[in-house]
Amino acid sequence: MIRSRVLTMLSLVCLFALLLAGLSGCGQATQTPQAQPSPTSPQVGQPTSSSVVAQPTATQPSPPPTGEEQAPKSVVIVIPEDPPSFNAILSDTGYDAMVMELTMLGLTDIDPQGNIFPELAAELPTVENGGVVVDEEAGTMEVTWKLRQDVQWQDGTPVTADDVVFTWDAIADPETGTWMQGVDYIGGVVKVDDYTFVISYTGIYPGYLTQFGGEQLVIWPAHYCDAEQGFTAWDCARAPMSDGPFTLQEWVVGDHMIFVRNPNYYQPGNPVIDQVIVRIVPDATVRKTMLLQGDADVDVWTTEPVVFDLKDKPNVQVSISPYPRWVLRLFFNLAANGTVDPVASPHPILSDLRVRQAIRMAIDVDTISTQIFYGYGTPVWTELFRPPYACDVPRPKYDPQAAAALLESAGWIDQDGDGVRECHGCLNAKEGTPMEMELITYAEFGEPMTLSQQLIAEMLGKIGIKFQLTVVEGSVLWATAEEGGIEQLGNFDVDLWDDGYSGTDPTDFLWELYSDEAAEPDFGWNIGRWINDDFNGLLAQAYTLDEALRKDLFCQMAAILDEQVPSVLMFSVINADAHSTRVEGIQSTTFDMVTWNAEDWDVK
Amino acid sequence: MTAYLARRLLQTVALLFLLSIVLFALVNLAPGGPLAGHGQSRHVRPERAAVLKRQFGLDKPLPIQYLVWLAGNDWMKVDADGDGITDSYGTRKGILRGDFGFSFRTRQPALNEIGLRLPNTILLMGVTMLVAIVVAIPIGILSALRQYSFYDIAATTFSFAGQAIPEFWLGLILILIFYVWLKNPFTGEPLLPPGGMYTLGAGFSLVDRIKHLILPVATGALAWIAWYSRFLRSSMLDVIHQDYLRTARAKGLSERTVIYRHALRNALIPLVTVLALDLPYLIGGAVFVETIFSWPGMGRLYYQSALQRDYPVLLAILMIGAAAIILSNLLADLLYAYMDPRIRYD
Amino acid sequence: MWRRFRRHPGAIAGTIVLGLIVVAVLLAPLSPYDPEASDLSARFQPPSLQHPMGTDALGRDLLTRVLYGGRVSLTVGFLVVAISLAIGVPIGALAGFHGGRLDSILMRLTDIFLSMPAFLVLILLSAILREVDAPLFERNNVLTIAVVIGILSWMTFSRLVRAAFLTIREMDFVTAARCVGASNRRIIVTHILPNAIGPIIVEATLGLGYAIIEESGLSFLGFGIQPPTPSWGNLLSNAQEYLTKYPWLAIFPGLMIFLTIISVNYIGDGLRDAFDPYKVLKKVGEV
Repeated sequence: MIRSRVLTMLSLVCLFALLLAGLSGCGQATQTPQAQPSPTSPQVGQPTSSSVVAQPTATQPSPPPTGEEQAPKSVVIVIPEDPPSFNAILSDTGYDAMVMELTMLGLTDIDPQGNIFPELAAELPTVENGGVVVDEEAGTMEVTWKLRQDVQWQDGTPVTADDVVFTWDAIADPETGTWMQGVDYIGGVVKVDDYTFVISYTGIYPGYLTQFGGEQLVIWPAHYCDAEQGFTAWDCARAPMSDGPFTLQEWVVGDHMIFVRNPNYYQPGNPVIDQVIVRIVPDATVRKTMLLQGDADVDVWTTEPVVFDLKDKPNVQVSISPYPRWVLRLFFNLAANGTVDPVASPHPILSDLRVRQAIRMAIDVDTISTQIFYGYGTPVWTELFRPPYACDVPRPKYDPQAAAALLESAGWIDQDGDGVRECHGCLNAKEGTPMEMELITYAEFGEPMTLSQQLIAEMLGKIGIKFQLTVVEGSVLWATAEEGGIEQLGNFDVDLWDDGYSGTDPTDFLWELYSDEAAEPDFGWNIGRWINDDFNGLLAQAYTLDEALRKDLFCQMAAILDEQVPSVLMFSVINADAHSTRVEGIQSTTFDMVTWNAEDWDVK
Repeated sequence: MTAYLARRLLQTVALLFLLSIVLFALVNLAPGGPLAGHGQSRHVRPERAAVLKRQFGLDKPLPIQYLVWLAGNDWMKVDADGDGITDSYGTRKGILRGDFGFSFRTRQPALNEIGLRLPNTILLMGVTMLVAIVVAIPIGILSALRQYSFYDIAATTFSFAGQAIPEFWLGLILILIFYVWLKNPFTGEPLLPPGGMYTLGAGFSLVDRIKHLILPVATGALAWIAWYSRFLRSSMLDVIHQDYLRTARAKGLSERTVIYRHALRNALIPLVTVLALDLPYLIGGAVFVETIFSWPGMGRLYYQSALQRDYPVLLAILMIGAAAIILSNLLADLLYAYMDPRIRYD
Repeated sequence: MWRRFRRHPGAIAGTIVLGLIVVAVLLAPLSPYDPEASDLSARFQPPSLQHPMGTDALGRDLLTRVLYGGRVSLTVGFLVVAISLAIGVPIGALAGFHGGRLDSILMRLTDIFLSMPAFLVLILLSAILREVDAPLFERNNVLTIAVVIGILSWMTFSRLVRAAFLTIREMDFVTAARCVGASNRRIIVTHILPNAIGPIIVEATLGLGYAIIEESGLSFLGFGIQPPTPSWGNLLSNAQEYLTKYPWLAIFPGLMIFLTIISVNYIGDGLRDAFDPYKVLKKVGEV
């Protein structure tokens, strides 16, 4: 009858929902990882990557386990999302580099002061010590690397030149490899003996020291990673074999990762602590609370408002990088909006140098930095502000009156009294063109970026330039021209975003943003189409190993940039990691993630 | 009936096929793409973009991409190493054989990404729907029985209010009340957690899980309770005035029997149908709640994937969602026929 | 009909509240504050006499921004309803009137749209259409968002109208009109539509509420109206990170949405009772 059917249906539905809920709640299916090394040394644990059917995020953690004897010294790091893998060069989220630093080593690394130091390498090869041999005529060079002989993988296998060659072959594989900086310059990597190998370059590549190290690249184990799967997809990037201070013991995706001390680590006495626990906590407020309550020890990439909140707390310290990386900047499109040729169709307003100079003079950088970034923004006005190439460029004045006067003399006068200037005898625009433009920024940074955009527009509005504000997604702003990328297609007037080069070598970065070759769509990122022959000439010369010469060249380039104003650099955002005072040794660095020296951390 | 069923299933297949084309076109039409700088790099070097394009299969014209997505490319030769020569067979099997490709973001199979998060969403939405039903039925019944009484007016007002409160706002307000303002009188700590599925490292504790479920479920269920209770009320009202109930009363049956044995069961029929129609929400219905309460589910995965143009994952979620809708429609129709013998399909 | 509406207390209250909101929103330019100009000396102030709803991160008066945001949200809402009607009514009318093949095709079309997970596709569509740089459609325009939402909300109308047509076209007065020789168009416009208009109006009213919530939701996620243009949705999204310190930023915009939607719902309910006291057309799945 109807009634019984209805009742049956209803109860079935309820049961079903309850069952689902119960199953989902209780179920913890642990899958064993595909690749497991068999440890020869009995003390070392196996790296397990349990891709557990997600039991993700949580809030407050429980107090650390109290053992009968000494509790293991452990440090808890909280991050907002899982690293996609341990291979930082693939996805470059930063969290991958963070866990990579805990477990694997590169040839070299960079310290917070910008000094390069050897990790797997026995010493840094230079021209002086014969490690680097330059063939001046042919314009090529060869670098001979000697590896340390006391480094082992966690299963006891020594780290040898085979691993380096293996890593290189995997990267260079046309099917499953990837592209990395300077890969075109490498002719080949050849093993000489177990601990020596030679990299031959097809040109002079000044960044050779950190090419296989630094923040992004480490050496991968030849005997463990599967070359068939390839660099971009191999399982050892999810279940890594370690030669670093810690090994991965457990990874519950979405919840936590546990790293334990690697007893085979080559540095005696290091790592000092026994365990590093990484917890996934997406909400920034919760991470802050955990830090304050002692449930977390390190909060990675702490943002300005949180740093400000943590200022006076007795049990929390904030480590700030001595040199920041990300600088907020305005880029001018010197070609007309929607075009890419600055000569055939120059931008009616921005192609005039005086206009760009006026804009630079009218922006009160300090106000933006104090009001929106809690005072933690460091003014930066040149690309060359970090060691070892910090150049002495005088800071641009903030003088809105002078800016207004400059605009007047450039032929931009407000004759109709509406607060917006028009062209009356200006350089490249028709008579009467109003000084109106579009200022674009991207959404993913968050509110501080859009608020800065607004403030900048207001400041420029005061000198008679009207801006229409647009916020777009990063994936649209930086897409290729083919995909409709706004920058590449030149569909903008002024672009506001944060950028900065990684590592210590700005050569590639400068090429990307300012060289003439890079002005071609989808060939580089000189989206302003600024072309300066002097600059290009200097840049070409910078591919040399003569450091003194390089510094001189860079500073000349900095002077040109300062004079020609293709972009206005304003200030850098903070690079900081908040941590509990019980952890010693934490030092934020702009050249790496906070775990760069995890082997030296200690717990009080 | 079987003929009807067969016809409907065929229609389902056709509909899914058409939808796959529409959704594929939509996803690819969105400006911007997965090659835009992610992670820390703002700008992707063109050389790297070229390699990625090839590895992601984006270097082919759209119709070919669709074909590969649908049926795979292991039956045709592709140029895997970028030298311009198609010399090896592809590796993809296509969705017809269950291969939804790999996520651009993590390089893991798209279905894996979904599989990690689907149970969480089902848990959240399942409990939400359950709570909604359990709370809505008594409210709706009483409302109908005591029509125009104070109780009814209160319930109706509540129902209107519940449907008017935006979910995302409600979530924020609830966090404000139960995490920021009200504190546990004994421990001084916040009453309820502001997000996450459970407290870290404490092992499995039912109480803990429930505490973490309270706010998200309350946020999601309110509108549903409002809607279901009102729906049940109107459906109950329809039934109450029917003649066969008058007959039952005339036969001398107690009011209780009349209501619960006869009226309620018939009133529940439309509700069950509506429930079946709402089943797809189990999969994709919690975008706001998941975002606000840091609940790692399908909604947040979709949102992340949309921002980063992670096409395979996007398409997988869309197709699963669409399939859920179509199948639940079919289920609703069948249920209706099953429960109400007056309905017959031919 | 109006008499019945007037007897519905909720609908009256709803009309009054909605009326007040619309008037307030129209009067937004009267505010002494500029919704977009910053005042860095007055950041994050709690509600006071000078700033009845407080100020936000740039010192902008929240009440002013909420009112301007109301303009945007309400405009989008009305536009969405207009677009949905413009698409849905003709489709439903054609399907219901002619029946047969055309009906099948149009209903399949409706099914395709109905089978798409609505909100997920909304996110995609807005990502697509937002960047369109065409006349009338400038980037991030109110019209664009309205079109995006409208494209996915016409299906209810087409079903409703089709159902109405199916029922009414069999009625005697239509047959009579046909006997007299009235053309198809005349029959539709003069005879059927006026009788079907009841449910359409009710649904349109409720659709307004739905559209406002969808727009707010999209803007909340960052896919709708972008800053600095305020909309109730993106005001809420900006308020999320300040929830613990400056809660008024979250309370007021949401309150406005709530008041608007509940008024709209009560009005819709009143209209439903006024037009349809015998509940001729059921809502659950038969047609």
